[in-house]
Formats: sequence, C-alpha cells, structure tokens
Amino acid sequence: MTGQTSGTPVVEARGLAKRFGNFTALKGATFTIPLGRIVGVIGANGAGKTTMLNAVLGLSSYEGELRVLGHDPSKERPALMQDICFISDVATLPKWMKVVEVLDFVESVHPKFDRAKAMNFLSRTKVPLERKVRALSKGMTVQLHLAVVMSIDAKLLVLDEPTLGLDIMFRKQFYQSLLEEYFDEERTVIITTHQVEEVEHILSDVMFIRDGEIVLEAEMDELTQQFIEVLVAPGKEAEAMALKPISKGTTFGKSTCVYKNIDRETLAKLGETRRLGLADIFVATMTGEGQ
Amino acid sequence: MNTFVALVKREVLDGKNGYIRVPVILAGLTVLLVICSSLGFGNMLYFDGMEHEGIENLADAMNKAAAREPDEFPAAITIGYWMMSVLAWVALPFVIFFSLLGALYEERRDRSILFWKSMPVSDWQEVLAKFFTPIVVAPIAFLGVAIVAQLVIAVFLSILMVFQGGPVLDLWPVGLMITSWFGVLSHFLISMIWALPLLAWVLFVSAYASRMPFLWAILPPFVVMIVEELFLDSHVIASWVGTHMGGWQDGAFRDMPNDFDGPRDLLMALVNGLQWQGLSYSFANPQFWLGIVIAGGFLWGAVELRKRAI
Repeated sequence: MTGQTSGTPVVEARGLAKRFGNFTALKGATFTIPLGRIVGVIGANGAGKTTMLNAVLGLSSYEGELRVLGHDPSKERPALMQDICFISDVATLPKWMKVVEVLDFVESVHPKFDRAKAMNFLSRTKVPLERKVRALSKGMTVQLHLAVVMSIDAKLLVLDEPTLGLDIMFRKQFYQSLLEEYFDEERTVIITTHQVEEVEHILSDVMFIRDGEIVLEAEMDELTQQFIEVLVAPGKEAEAMALKPISKGTTFGKSTCVYKNIDRETLAKLGETRRLGLADIFVATMTGEGQ
Repeated sequence: MNTFVALVKREVLDGKNGYIRVPVILAGLTVLLVICSSLGFGNMLYFDGMEHEGIENLADAMNKAAAREPDEFPAAITIGYWMMSVLAWVALPFVIFFSLLGALYEERRDRSILFWKSMPVSDWQEVLAKFFTPIVVAPIAFLGVAIVAQLVIAVFLSILMVFQGGPVLDLWPVGLMITSWFGVLSHFLISMIWALPLLAWVLFVSAYASRMPFLWAILPPFVVMIVEELFLDSHVIASWVGTHMGGWQDGAFRDMPNDFDGPRDLLMALVNGLQWQGLSYSFANPQFWLGIVIAGGFLWGAVELRKRAI
C-alpha cells in the first residue's frame, strides 16, 4: 500500500449491487467516502447495510464497480486488510483463545499492530489477560476487540453495530475512546448503528439506506441545517400548512411541522423553531416525504 | 512464512486437547501399566505356580534372554518399547479426522471466521495451515509423546534392573531406537501422502457443510459405493478408498520375505527396507500421483469456499 494520497477517496462505489437468489439486497448503490471522515450508515434492519459493508470489506462478491483504498476488495482482501479493520455485528473473537493469545496472534500476522498500544488500552480496563474470551463479559469482549483494532495503524475502520448489547457506560466509553484516541484526519471510520443518538455528535457524514438503495448522502452540518421543526403557534396552522411541511405531528397539544430547505426566518414567524435530531431526520426521510 | 508459522501455532493451540492431551494421557496410562506389570512380573509367575528355570523377577528373565540371544536382544528391546507405547498411537487417526472435519466448519459456526478474515491473511494460507497441522504436526506430536513414553519406560526398567541385578546397559539400544523413531515417522508420512485425497475430502466437507459435517464426510462416499455395487456390480471406488487408506502397503510390501529370522530381521526390515520400498513403490504408482492431484482439487475447492464464507 503506497501512493495513497489524501485526495483519493477511501471508498468509491458505482452501481454496487448484490443479489441473493431472487432477493436484491443492494440495488446499484453509488457513493464516495473520502479520507478523514466518520460516516454513519443508517437504515432499518434488512435495508442492506451489512451487505454493503461486506462488499467493501471483501467478504462477499458483488456486481458493479468498487474500489477500496485503490484495491478491488473481492480479489485483494488480504492486501486490503493491512489498511482496514472491522468489528462486525456479532462477537467474532475466537472464544477458545486467551486474551493474551489473541494479542500474540494479531502481533504475529499483522505488520501494523502495535502491541504496546493494545496493552496500554487494556490496562485501563478490567479485561484479564489470562482469561479466555469465552469467559469475558460482553462489554469486556468489545473492549478487547476495540483495543486490538485501535492498535492497528489502519486507514479505514468499519464498525457494524459495534455496541450492540452493551450497557450505556460501555457504549459512551467506546465512542469516546474512538474519537479521542483513534480518529484523525488520516483515517476514515464507517459506523452502522441503531442507536443513532449516541453517534450523531461524532459523525461528519451520514448515509441513509432503504431497501437496498441509498436515499440520502450528506454532510452532518448541512443536513441538520436543512431540517427545521416548528412548534406552530395557535392561529398559524393554515399558514404552516401552506409551506408544505414534510411531516406533521402534535406535541403537548400543539401541532408541530417539519420543513426541509425552508429558511429559518420564514419559519420563525410560525412559531418556535428547533433543529431536528438525526433520528428524527431519518424518520422524516424514511416516511417518504423527505425527498 | 512467519504468518504460516503463526497459523500453525494457532491451530495447535486450538486443538491442543487432541494433539497433546490425548497422547499424553494415553502414554501416561501405558507407562503406568508397564510399571505395574513389571513390578508384579515375578510375583505373577510365582502366583500362577509356574516354574521358569528359576526366574523370579524381570531381571532374571532379561538376563536369560540377553544371554541366550545376544544378537537379537537389542532389537527385541526396541520392538518391545514400541509395543509398550503403541497405546499412545491409537487415537491419532481420530484426532486427524476430527481436526480436519472441524477446521473450516467451527470457525463458520462460531463466526470467528470474521475475525480471522479481518487479518491480512489469505484464504489459501489459512486452508493450508488447517490441512498441514493435523496431518504433519499431529503425527510428530504423537511421536514425540511416544518417544518420551519409551524413554520413561526405559529409565524405569533400568532402575528396576539396578535393584534386581539385570542387564541395565542392554536396555539402551540407543542407535536402534533412534532409527526406529525416524523409520516410523517416515512411514507414517508416506501413508499420509497416500491418504491425501481422503484427508482433503474431509477438509473440503468441513468448508462446505452448513451442518452435520460428519454425515457429509461419511455418507456420500458410502452411497456412491453402494450405488456402484448395486448397479454395476463392481467396487472400484471402495477398493480405491481402501488403497489410499493403507491398502497400498499390500502392493508395496508383497515381495517382502515372510519369514523373518528373529526380531532383528524384522526391525531392520521395518526401519530400512520398508521405507525405501514403500517410497519407490509409491513414486512409481500412478494412483499415488493421481491421489495427490485429487487432493489438490479438494483443497482448491476448500479455498474457494472459504473465500465466499462469512
């Protein structure tokens, strides 16, 4: 892996598709992920997130064009794994191994693994080195996996539901370590998760995916500015409706309307305005009217 | 190369019950049996009320034997050590079979395959390591344990002889023992090469089966054999499998003299002639080479399956 300049995108997909028999899991996705981003891939169960990530990681075949760090992942997975790390949505660390044996193994096969770094990370946790992975709690297993992954000097880190089943303390810690100790402008992180609220403050970009299609790809800052929710003042309902909200609702007896791409000053006349959270934006987009 | 060593190390670690604990336990049992029986040797004879020309313990018997057949005694001792440690070997075929059967199946079942695949290691290296470890490392590990068992037995018998007044030095035919170790190992490895297509089939099944790999490994060959028997009234496949499982030795050693004149002849034949005869017979046999080609096909299939496995 040489000649990877920061100008080249980390992932470039054009018409990326995947079929399982009659079922099309991914319908020609086209997207680009540059270096130095934290991208959230958000979608319902079965929307095609894992299928897409598996293609990027070289774990499955696909149709269409796909380049990851300049490689064709379906043919060059071993080379690619020098610069990519991933944690998948299931516990994958070998259960029969001791923690220290996991470190030994990674150290002996991965040229970019820094054992001292992993030990340092683990020393701040309660993970016992001589314990078998099987006997670790779910939280400890994730901490161990994260310690391994963060000690590999990779360019792309892919996390598929990394905090699934963890309690809130671990989840907070997980993203904090990720942001403070791992991420920099030379790395890219792709995260899929259901717990959108937990990641939205660290994401730089988001990708919404539905039924195997990318329905939205945007930078976080831009996106949150596009969507404004208005707590419609009494008597302004008709005016509010005229501006064609993308969704309506009621909170505390007052009607609320969500608008896309309408400037704040216009909306301020209707009532109190606020920014929408990523989860709400996702719901608004997915209900079909956000397009 | 370092990667391959690391993979083999991981396989040994994963299968250490089969590769190390099983032979050690069996060898321990053997040693225990030998110790018990040789301590009780004279008593047993005495107990049975048999008179054996004044033999009251093991040392007497050894002295007599060594005096009567001085040329044959070292070979007899060497063969004796092998027979005493043979129990340690019985588990080896099972260990090999089940290690191969689980090699590419368990990692899919427990999803650890996703962890292995997150490392910069190619699928063919993984498959080769999972093939190499059971068929090369396991026999060497078993041989190592058998050697230790033989040495423990020899040390124990020597101490016994010191106390009972037997021929201590005669218990250490070191040259013969070492030759026999290498002889057994090389014969086993040739047998392994013969068995390659069958072993590779098991590994292929391990990569293919989504469940019940044992049935997948055993049943299809059996069905094919039965179908052949029923409809063609022949048993080409069955005899092919038999040949690769060890039947080749029938062809390789058919010309060997049947009447061995004492243990020395037998041992010499076993450790010297046998190797070369087996090797030259194998190299000149097209079925031997065809087997290797078929094994290559199954291995290739296993690699391709693993590339697609998640």
